[in-house]
Amino acid sequence: MKDKGFLVLAQNSETTDYVMQACLLAMSLQATKNSVPISLVTNDEVPLSYQCLFDEIIPIPFGDDAKDKDWKIENRWKLYHATPYQETIVLDTDMLVLENIDVWWDLLKNYDVYYTSKVYDYRGNVADTCYYRKAFIENNLPNLFSGFHYFKKNDFAQNFYKEVELVVNNWQAFYEIALDKFTPDFASMDVVAAIAAINLDCVTEITNPLIKNPTFTHMKAYCQDWSEVNNNWLDKIGCYISPECKIKLGNYIQTGILHYTEDNFVEKTPVLERYKVLLNV
Amino acid sequence: MSKGVLVIARNNKNIDYVKQAIFLAKNVSKYLNLPTSIITDNANYVTEHFDPTVFDKIISIEYDDAMNSRSFYDGGLASKSDNFKNSSRSVVYDLTPYDETLLLDSDFVINNDMFLKCFESNQDLLLYKDSCELSNTRNTKEFTYISDTGCEFYWATCVFFRKSSVNKIYFNLIKHIQDEWNHYRRLYQIQSNLFRNDFAFSIAIHIMNGFSKGNFFGEMPGKLIYITDQDILWEKQDDKMTFLVAKKDYLGEYYAISTKGTSVHVMNKFSLGRIIDEELLNEG
Repeated sequence: MKDKGFLVLAQNSETTDYVMQACLLAMSLQATKNSVPISLVTNDEVPLSYQCLFDEIIPIPFGDDAKDKDWKIENRWKLYHATPYQETIVLDTDMLVLENIDVWWDLLKNYDVYYTSKVYDYRGNVADTCYYRKAFIENNLPNLFSGFHYFKKNDFAQNFYKEVELVVNNWQAFYEIALDKFTPDFASMDVVAAIAAINLDCVTEITNPLIKNPTFTHMKAYCQDWSEVNNNWLDKIGCYISPECKIKLGNYIQTGILHYTEDNFVEKTPVLERYKVLLNV
Repeated sequence: MSKGVLVIARNNKNIDYVKQAIFLAKNVSKYLNLPTSIITDNANYVTEHFDPTVFDKIISIEYDDAMNSRSFYDGGLASKSDNFKNSSRSVVYDLTPYDETLLLDSDFVINNDMFLKCFESNQDLLLYKDSCELSNTRNTKEFTYISDTGCEFYWATCVFFRKSSVNKIYFNLIKHIQDEWNHYRRLYQIQSNLFRNDFAFSIAIHIMNGFSKGNFFGEMPGKLIYITDQDILWEKQDDKMTFLVAKKDYLGEYYAISTKGTSVHVMNKFSLGRIIDEELLNEG
């Protein structure tokens, strides 16, 4: 088994090319000279010219449980079994790594499983995510974000992922028990991870709200501390991408990991073209 | 290292900033035991109408009547539109006679010695980020960011700076932002075209921080406490001040708040003027 790596799960839907987002993410890792490779878990076709961006392209294990689903989270628990790495950082496809984060691995090695529980807005302030997190607030769930998480291949992580599998496959039943004060009518991996952490009584072992990194910039519009909010942040502030792929949102240079969240980010901005030119892909 | 307070006073038709500066200089002497210098476009007015010895130095700048019109309120029900002559703040770095300068707005009423801590700071530039509106009832978002999507707001009301090569760049940048204000206000999505020093100072900090959050400057001691021009400074006796603070959603109605030993930025310049007149009268 290989030492360390990033892992991303991409399943295209009718409207969104998640594989292309994963390719873009891989390009961003290359552009920032992160020394750790990335692998892609997908059953979709990866364009030939982009395959070299990945360490491995891995089929979804145990078959595709999200076939015919729009919101494909049913396969997320399989990443523990799919990873070719001893230590894995799982990223959402709609993310860009904008700086070298090699040093984060040193911090993460102190954990068996780690979820970020504090994310930031584009101005670098801690994001107020309560608009999107009523279920967390009302039901007093730990504020975990599965968009960035880490695990080691060991008994603790395996046990955690088993619990995630159990909860995601029976989410309605678990929601009834754990989310009695406010019950969403759809499954969310963030909520699933939070319920799993409570069930295993391991919240303090898998997150640390006192540290700044590892984390990401969350671009959901209602997290940006704006008085007037458009649903899509791209309609509110400018997005500027330099030939070196430095990204400025509004007037703020972005660093760390950018979770751009809006699927039309790739079409609406020159981001893909910029990375292709920079990396000669 | 020379130390002192610097104040800019450029009168318009309705507001006597020089009178405010005199009042400020006396309070600076009383509470901080520091000299105060004034930058003004009418030095004759200072020497002919007031005791000029309250100032360490009187620094003349050219008279400029370029319009930057805004409304000045006197409580919730009265206002006058006049010229807001605020274009000189960027040149204070070159004009200050001090190595360590505390730049204060003339409408800042000092009632304690807290500003002395600035001179002990190991940072060469200090500004206020945190502020507290005395009534604590208004939406103060306009003092959090310079616009809904723009950078963080810092007050140019009270600024401490030492002469340094980096601060020279900072003040030159402010001057550039002022010169190209229409460009920068659009870039930072500021709706109003009124030039504001707070905005120019804030944008310059944002740029000096590399277009991100950073630690280019340090924070002034405590919080900046202020009343808006919709509130009224009603009475002042030594370090005790009484304010009439506008009731939220009840135009023209107020409630009273008193402070003791608290320095306050009094944005209602008319009510401050009345209080200063009373004090000057009492002094004989």
